[in-house]
Amino acid sequence: MPQAASPHSKGALIEIRGLGKRFGSVVAVDDVSLTIDAGEFVALLGPSGSGKSTVLMSVAGFERPTAGQILIDGVDCTGLPPNKRNIGMVFQHYTLFPHLSVGDNVAFPLKMRGIGKAERRRQAEQALEVVRLSGYAERMPKQLSGGQQQRVALARAIVYNPRVLLMDEPLSALDKNLREEMQIEIKRLHAELGFTVVFVTHDQGEALTMADRIAILKAGRLQQVSPARSLYERPSNLFAAGFIGEMNILPVTWDGEKATFSNNQDIRLPAEALIEPIRPGAAVLAVRPERLSVAAPGEAGTWKATVRDVVYAGAGSLLITHLDDGSEVRLRMPSAGQANVRSGDTIGIRMPPEAVLLYPSGDAA
Amino acid sequence: MKGPGFFEADGRQMSKGAILLLMGPFFLLVFVAFLYPLGNLLSISVLEPTPTLANYERVFDNPIYATVLLRTFRIALLVSILSLVLSLPVAVLMANSRGPKAVLITACILLPFWSSVLVRTAAWAILLQRNGMVNGFLQAIGLTSEPLRLLYTQGAVVVAMTHVLMPFMVLPIYGALRNIPPAYNRAAAICGAGPLRTFWEVTLPLAMPGIIGGFILVFLTALGYFITPSLLGSPQEMMIATLISQQMRENLDWPFAAALVGVLTLIVTVITLIFSKVFQFDRMMGGRA
Repeated sequence: MPQAASPHSKGALIEIRGLGKRFGSVVAVDDVSLTIDAGEFVALLGPSGSGKSTVLMSVAGFERPTAGQILIDGVDCTGLPPNKRNIGMVFQHYTLFPHLSVGDNVAFPLKMRGIGKAERRRQAEQALEVVRLSGYAERMPKQLSGGQQQRVALARAIVYNPRVLLMDEPLSALDKNLREEMQIEIKRLHAELGFTVVFVTHDQGEALTMADRIAILKAGRLQQVSPARSLYERPSNLFAAGFIGEMNILPVTWDGEKATFSNNQDIRLPAEALIEPIRPGAAVLAVRPERLSVAAPGEAGTWKATVRDVVYAGAGSLLITHLDDGSEVRLRMPSAGQANVRSGDTIGIRMPPEAVLLYPSGDAA
Repeated sequence: MKGPGFFEADGRQMSKGAILLLMGPFFLLVFVAFLYPLGNLLSISVLEPTPTLANYERVFDNPIYATVLLRTFRIALLVSILSLVLSLPVAVLMANSRGPKAVLITACILLPFWSSVLVRTAAWAILLQRNGMVNGFLQAIGLTSEPLRLLYTQGAVVVAMTHVLMPFMVLPIYGALRNIPPAYNRAAAICGAGPLRTFWEVTLPLAMPGIIGGFILVFLTALGYFITPSLLGSPQEMMIATLISQQMRENLDWPFAAALVGVLTLIVTVITLIFSKVFQFDRMMGGRA
């Protein structure tokens, strides 16, 4: 069994190389390679069935990959059972042992590492203090609220100073307020203790606020790995563009300089609009709803659209419109100071060229 | 377990009348078929031939009866422990099996229920007789030259009773194991526990309600077991149920037989109470902690 890491250990480097996992004829993970730096916080984001959990479970050692390697700090762990990996993990449903007190739960990993009773108790109390639950050691898990239980699970995962902390949708069972509180708590622990975090979630907001980098998976394949900002502003393909936040997606014809819509209106695009080179022909234009604004109909450089719905939501409003050819365009804007637009009105939509991204058509949507 | 009882649980609101109506037939049966005859029998033990405790004095005066009681306990305990040792691996295998394998194991456990206890006991008599299969096997491998006396021994009683009562141990343990979410095993593993350590530290404690439940079930059933001991046991090494039957049918001494029943009932009640205090029986029966 590996030695307990020293108290001032920092995070470990995780290298996932060509990871593949098949269940019979079903490919759950297909050639995923990802290097996670020591101390980095990476979120694995994707719809259900995207393989994100399988990747995490392979890092934890619960899944045996059918291809590829997993290295932690340069050591090949691919065939190592979970109990020998010295990794901390927080599960979706807390999974505190119901027959053990909170203190014994937190001390459990220390007991497995042969640490004496008094020392175990001391370190467990310390870990409980870190998650702000000192004085709860004697209680039974059932006597705690969901948020408190998840904090105990967090304490149990960090009590032996693991260099890697894995989290499998740890906040999905909590209600919204508690979730936000726990997000802050986890970020604080990450900053204080410096371990490497791999965090699985299907909640893009959670991924954007918490992670240094976000890895998007779809159907077992890695789509993009980027910091939150570039993921949101320059998604590398149409799937990532549609998966993170809202995106208007419109079919156009691309001639190398201008994108032409079906109504023959066109827009000249800067070179930055193309993530990768696109051959002239059919293409797809993508633009975020909050980058569009309303102008008078017929104003130069705007597109004519008919308002179908105005959804007032306090600080912001959503305008659902459609163009002549029927394609839907959504606009988001602050509610204050807006012209009074009603359903049925004809408006002009102003689209700044620098806000537009162009993707090859037929790209995985 | 604290909290709302069965009839008040989420959305299950029932009037007192409805509860009485539903439980009525059961309580009626328990009263008519069990409590009334038992009370009747116990009253015989203190009222006949005259109001007296003489029948109970007889139980404790003659050491032979204490010997029978102690032997009954020893056999019941032995059967329970043996059942537990044999049942635990089976239950674990069953809980971890899926598909056809699980069906096969379950069928093996439940198959004996399709035949009567009498048949199963008779089968053991055939196996263990002088020229039976077991003796034949022992002679064939040269372990013994003469056929051994296997039938009508305490050993025969213990083996056959263990066989007959084992399902009552396997099923509660299997149920308890099946109720343990596999996530606990994963949590234990990531905490650094190997498979054996996980079984010892997590699985076994969480299965304890089923283990204790099965143990009590087998132990209490074994205490009053009649058919197997009377068919396979030695007449010189009687168990309490056989003794009671003998007093009733051969000696026609109902008051004394009733006193023996009284003593047995008292002991069983005390054991049940101790178990429920020590292991908080009601909480266990309410499922996982």
